[in-house]
Amino acid sequence: MKWAAGIAILGLVVLMAMGTWSLFPRPDVPSWEEETTAWGAENAVAAIVLGARLWDTLFEVLVYAMAMVGVRLALRPLRQAEPQAPLPETPLLRRAADVLLGPIVVFSIYLAASGHLGPGGGFPAGALLGSGLLLLALAKGAERLGGELHEPALELWEYGAIALLLAVGGGVVLLGWRGEHVLLGADFLIAVVVAIGAWVVLHNFASSRGEI
Amino acid sequence: MDGMAASALAIALVGLGLWTLVRRRNVIWKLLGLNVAAGGAILFLVAVAHRPHAHPAIAELGPGPSADPLPHALVLTAIVIHFATLALSLVYVIFLTERRHSQDVHKLEEER
Repeated sequence: MKWAAGIAILGLVVLMAMGTWSLFPRPDVPSWEEETTAWGAENAVAAIVLGARLWDTLFEVLVYAMAMVGVRLALRPLRQAEPQAPLPETPLLRRAADVLLGPIVVFSIYLAASGHLGPGGGFPAGALLGSGLLLLALAKGAERLGGELHEPALELWEYGAIALLLAVGGGVVLLGWRGEHVLLGADFLIAVVVAIGAWVVLHNFASSRGEI
Repeated sequence: MDGMAASALAIALVGLGLWTLVRRRNVIWKLLGLNVAAGGAILFLVAVAHRPHAHPAIAELGPGPSADPLPHALVLTAIVIHFATLALSLVYVIFLTERRHSQDVHKLEEER
């Protein structure tokens, strides 16, 4: 059985290598500067993700949000089973969080605002903001922070941001708008959705400590 | 040889990940193998976007050859969807561990 699996995977790898062989040498990239500027961007990746493929990106965000809702709903019966003692907080982590949280939030807003001009965009900004929230959760204790942030309100925020993103994105696609403000708005909405989703996942994983 | 060594490494990573996915009996090891295979796929897309002596696909970096922006956009999608599905499947592993007290696929299949 072992050698059968080995031969199958080796054959698959050889097939992939043969398919890849024909890709090289790579052809020259066609000129994209004018098209990118027409979408109101400097960064060609932002022009593709938020311009030409905006419809794809909207449903990608929808898939992401559905997975986050699945995480929350699947972990809910496990979390209500037994309330656990909060983790003890460490002074080092607390001080580090005090120092680092401000720069993390400012840098994530900068990434979301400049994603169409340079490296960055809504997805990295949201991931950064979510991990900043995780740092805060580790410093203050996940249970306490969850109580302070009002999780039902956060849930409403996430659903609201998704609905707004789909509505605005659909409108933009149908009306054919393009320009800098469209990219900026999409970047900030995506950042909100991704940050809340990352917070949901990391917080749920940090606060559900079960026993085997 | 531009990008070819990186794509060979990417294919090797995909093979390694698939081997772990097929041969390991622990569910978390299987998910780790899937994770490595997804890393190989992302590395492959980046290697396909590579051009010799190119600058990133940002317009103000001036004339000259630039990297291919389309695989970079696909990488963005791949990372986000991979994170979401990995989180969801880890939640299912947590559920399985709480209910059946095992992560071994053979045991999980035998007991029912």
